[in-house]
Amino acid sequence: MDLSNPAFERFAVTFQPGDIIFCEHEPGDSFYLIQAGRVQISRIMADIEKTIDILQPGEIFGEMAILEEAPRSANAIALDPMKALEFNRANFEILMRGNPQIALKLLKLFTKRIYDQRRRFMILTLDDVQAKVADVFLMLAEGEGTNNQESNERTFRTSVEDVAHWAGISPEKSREVLSHFASQRRIEIYQDRVVVRNINDLIRFVNSRRRQ
Amino acid sequence: MPKPMTYKANSVIYFQGDVSDRIYILKSGRVSLTSNDIETGQEIHDYIQTGEFFGVKSALGRYPREESAAVLSDAHVIMFTVPEFEQVVSANTRIIMKMLKVFSNQLRKMHAKVQDLLASDSQNDPEEGLFRIGEYYLRKKQYSKALYAFQRYLTYYPSGKFHVKANSHALTAENYAQQYGVGKGPGVPGLTTGDAPQSTTQSKPEEGRSLSDVAKRFYDAVSLFSRQEYTDSLKAFKQIAASGGDEEYTVKSLFEIGRCLHALKQYGPCIKHFTGMIQKYPKMPSLPDALYYVGQSYLEQGDATRASGFFNKIISMPGIDDGLKRKVNKAMKAVEET
Repeated sequence: MDLSNPAFERFAVTFQPGDIIFCEHEPGDSFYLIQAGRVQISRIMADIEKTIDILQPGEIFGEMAILEEAPRSANAIALDPMKALEFNRANFEILMRGNPQIALKLLKLFTKRIYDQRRRFMILTLDDVQAKVADVFLMLAEGEGTNNQESNERTFRTSVEDVAHWAGISPEKSREVLSHFASQRRIEIYQDRVVVRNINDLIRFVNSRRRQ
Repeated sequence: MPKPMTYKANSVIYFQGDVSDRIYILKSGRVSLTSNDIETGQEIHDYIQTGEFFGVKSALGRYPREESAAVLSDAHVIMFTVPEFEQVVSANTRIIMKMLKVFSNQLRKMHAKVQDLLASDSQNDPEEGLFRIGEYYLRKKQYSKALYAFQRYLTYYPSGKFHVKANSHALTAENYAQQYGVGKGPGVPGLTTGDAPQSTTQSKPEEGRSLSDVAKRFYDAVSLFSRQEYTDSLKAFKQIAASGGDEEYTVKSLFEIGRCLHALKQYGPCIKHFTGMIQKYPKMPSLPDALYYVGQSYLEQGDATRASGFFNKIISMPGIDDGLKRKVNKAMKAVEET
C-alpha cells in the first residue's frame, strides 16, 4: 500500500517507547494505522497489567472509535519509537478511498468485531451464571479454530478475571463458578491457564441452558 | 478464477452454520437470506438484489454462516474465493466503502446491545475505570503513564467524583517522575490499594471488590483438589479451617477436608470428620453432599446397611439437586449389588 504519499503526512503522529496512545475507558475518537514500531495492547485486571496483543506495522487499532461514544476497551502503549497515521470518523473516508488495501483491512476487522460482539451478546443473554462462564470457554475455543480435534481437552491461557470480563460478572462470582466446575472435575485451574477436560461436555451444558 | 454457477429454484446455496470461504454475487434470479433475530429468535428474510454480494461477512471473518441462502427462482451467481473477492473489490473502492458503511452500522447496533447488557450489570463505569488506571500506574511507579491517565480523567471529568484526588495524584506523578524516575520513589499516600474495595458507591457492593486473602487461599486449595493433589489440598484446607477467621470459609473448608479424606480413601476419618461437622453445623448448605460422602465411605468399608440408611435420608430431603440425586441413585444400585 502506498502510504508514503505526502498527502498522508498531515495524519502522522509519533510516540516514544512507553507512551500511552490511549487508555481503557477513555472516550475514543480516533483510530490508528501503524507505520513503524510496535504497539502493546493491554488491560489492567485485579491489579495486574495483562498484555492482550502486540501489533506490528501495517496493523490497525482503536477501530471501535468509528462508533460514537465507545470508551476504549484496552490500553494501547508504544513499545518502540512509533509512527502511525491517525484518523477519525470525519476523515477516514479520504484515506480509504485512495487505499483499497487499508479499506479491506478495516472491512475484515469489522467482520471480526461484529462476530465478537454477537458472540458476547449471546453469552450475556444467558440467564444462568454457570452457563455464561461455560460459554466463555466455548467462545475461546471457537476463536482457536478446529485444528486439534483428536482430543476433547482444551487449554486456555486465561484467568479468573478474563472470564469475569467476558461473562460480565464480578471476579468473585467468576472464581466461585470456576471452582465449582473444578470440583465437578470439568476444568482444572492453574496459575496461568485453565484446562477444560471435555469441551463437548461444556457445549452440551450451554446448549441445555440456552433452550430454556 | 471466479466461477459462474446456476442454482435451481428451491435449492440452497449455503446453510446457516456452514463454514466456507466462498463469496457470491447475484447475476439473475431471486435469492433470499434467512436468519434468526439474535434477541427474539424470529426469522428474518432479506432479499438479495441483482449485482449484490452475499456471504461476505462470514467468509472474510472465517466464522460460520449466520444465515441460509435459499434460491427462490432459478438463479445465476458468480462464486469467489476470499482472495478473488479481494482482488475484484480492490479495483473498486466504492464497493468497499459501501460495505464498510453497512458493517459499521451493524457493529454499532451490536455494540450498543452489548453495552446495554453490561450497563445493567453495572460492571463498567468508565469514569471510575479511568481513575483506577491512573492509580494502578502510580502504585507501580510508572509515573508518565499515571500522569497521562489522570490528565485524561481531568479533561473528561473536570468536576468528576475523583477530580480532587486526580489533581493531587497528577502533581505527585509529575514530581516523582522528575525527583525519582520510573520504578523509584516512596509509596504515594491516599492511593486505593489493589486489595481494597474498588467501588465507592453502595449500590454495587459486590462489583469490583478484590477477593479477601482467605478467599484466595480457599480457591487455591480448590484448584489443588481439582488437580487431584489431595494431600496438599487437605493440608491447605486444614490451615484455613484452623485459622478460623471467616466463618463462611471455615465451613466451606471443613466440607472440603471431608472430600479430601474421601478422595484419599481414608474412609474412617472421613466419616468421623463429617459426623462431627454435621453436629456442629446442622444447617450447613452442603449437608446432603456431606451425607453422600458418609454413605459412600460406609459403602467402601462394606457396611451396606449404614450406607443405604444415609442414601435414603438424602433422597427424602426436599430440594436436592439433580446431579446429587443421580449420584445417590447410582450409589443405591451399588448397595443392592453388594
